[in-house]
Amino acid sequence: MSGFQAAVALGKRELIRQVRQPSRIVASILTPMLVWAFFVGGFSGAIGQDNTDQNLTAYMIPGVASLTVMFASIFASISLIQDRHDGVLRAALISPAPRWSIVAGKVGAGALVAMLQGLVVLASLPFVGAELSIVGVVGACFGLALISVALIGLGLGLAWIVDSSQGFHGIMNAVLMPMWLTSGAVFPINDAAGWLRMVAMVNPLSWAHSAIRSSLGMTGIEGMPVGLDWIVSVGFAGACVVLAVAVMGQATKRRATLSE
Amino acid sequence: MRKIEVDQLQVVYPNKDGDRVALDGVSLTICDESIALLGPNGAGKSTLMGVLAGTQAPQSGTVLQNEDDGMGVVFQTPALDELLTVRENLELAGALHGMGKDAIQDGIGSLVNKLGLKDRLNQQVRHLSGGLKRRTDVARALLPEPGVLLLDEPTSGLDVEARATLWSALDSIRAASEMSVLYATHLTEEAQRADRVILIANGKIVVDGSPAALTQSLGSHVLRIRTDDAPTVEAWSESIGCPCVSRGNDVLISHANPENAGSCPGDPESVTLAAPTLEDVYLWHARSTFSGGGA
Repeated sequence: MSGFQAAVALGKRELIRQVRQPSRIVASILTPMLVWAFFVGGFSGAIGQDNTDQNLTAYMIPGVASLTVMFASIFASISLIQDRHDGVLRAALISPAPRWSIVAGKVGAGALVAMLQGLVVLASLPFVGAELSIVGVVGACFGLALISVALIGLGLGLAWIVDSSQGFHGIMNAVLMPMWLTSGAVFPINDAAGWLRMVAMVNPLSWAHSAIRSSLGMTGIEGMPVGLDWIVSVGFAGACVVLAVAVMGQATKRRATLSE
Repeated sequence: MRKIEVDQLQVVYPNKDGDRVALDGVSLTICDESIALLGPNGAGKSTLMGVLAGTQAPQSGTVLQNEDDGMGVVFQTPALDELLTVRENLELAGALHGMGKDAIQDGIGSLVNKLGLKDRLNQQVRHLSGGLKRRTDVARALLPEPGVLLLDEPTSGLDVEARATLWSALDSIRAASEMSVLYATHLTEEAQRADRVILIANGKIVVDGSPAALTQSLGSHVLRIRTDDAPTVEAWSESIGCPCVSRGNDVLISHANPENAGSCPGDPESVTLAAPTLEDVYLWHARSTFSGGGA
């Protein structure tokens, strides 16, 4: 049995579902853009436009892109709960397809869609005075994809345990919103108060934001070895996927065969 | 040939008001045959189906399956993606079973003809009627050509015509293959179609045999009596040497002699003499052994 074939088929299914639910895409992009508009509109007068290496408007764009990715990732992982209720997941689980292919299909397609939505937000950077290079955009996209892989992996592990969409939303919001808010998405970590900087340093999302900002020519987390932000981001994403596969594998075991 | 062997399955659902036993030492063997799993709601049919399908783990007991036989499962609710078309759902099922592209397309072409889905291939499942959804779900389960097909109340929610269409398609598909079929139902007319009927209640197998053997177990005739004075009828039944079971105003007498039909005491509302049916068998065991409740 080819797990790759199953993963591709499940990923294709996720992409078809995205296309046929355009409201999901609109909601994922619109909400963060509104957050961005209100934050920028509210804070720019109070703290000025020159307290970072970029103006505040541009500074917040990568954070808003990651918020977009976060919403898209929540949508992607919550679909596991719907799949369980609809029975689609049961059909996958009783098939010979390996468990990892179910996770791979969801993570692969979900991360692709989330990254593209984040890219739409990043595309606004030139309009607010930031200069973009191809290499920078590719790096930022990779960073956004890593955030999405991590959050979908985390979400799938949780969605396997939590049985209701409401409960899942509640837990994900309680975990992810503080993670996002303390990751330097809306303020520079380097200038933050000591305790907040400490919190940010242990927050894996901070390192992903740092990696994205570095790619875009902005300042990431200062005083750290070059590339550490990428190493932490890749490690976090990998750990979350392993967690999802482990939780799913633990919960479903195959049956013995009859020896003739 | 043995395809599945089930031995001493035990499934208990924890409950704050006391654990509920859903399967209590169930053992059975599935060979080349069609089996109806008949029982009231909550008897443990779906739990047994879940364990056989591998979606539910028993607390104890074993399920052994011949490794050459794949298993197709039709759940109580269709395991389809409503946003995908019929074709996309079937292609997904084929890919999950590692089928090649040509085999998937050949299988889809064959199944949609047999199940009357040819004109619906490119329609999203959410736009199909309940009967068409169910047939699509059956096609999904049959696409990998399983050796064993499990159907958990496959006609639930379907109207009479949709039900007949589905059974007709299943019968013709089974006739052309060596597939074993195990289906759960609470409808005796559906159980009648099987080679073998297993009556299950309160997590236990109550009786197991062919429909003919089961009906013959009640003799050549039964008396169905409706009366306001059931105790008198029960006493009369005992006096003529015929076992009976009753619930409320209804008394069912097995091994009845046609000559007795006219001598029933107690001014009964109705007396019907008939050859026993599977429904009589079901009612017989329902009244004598079922105590209600269950999974």
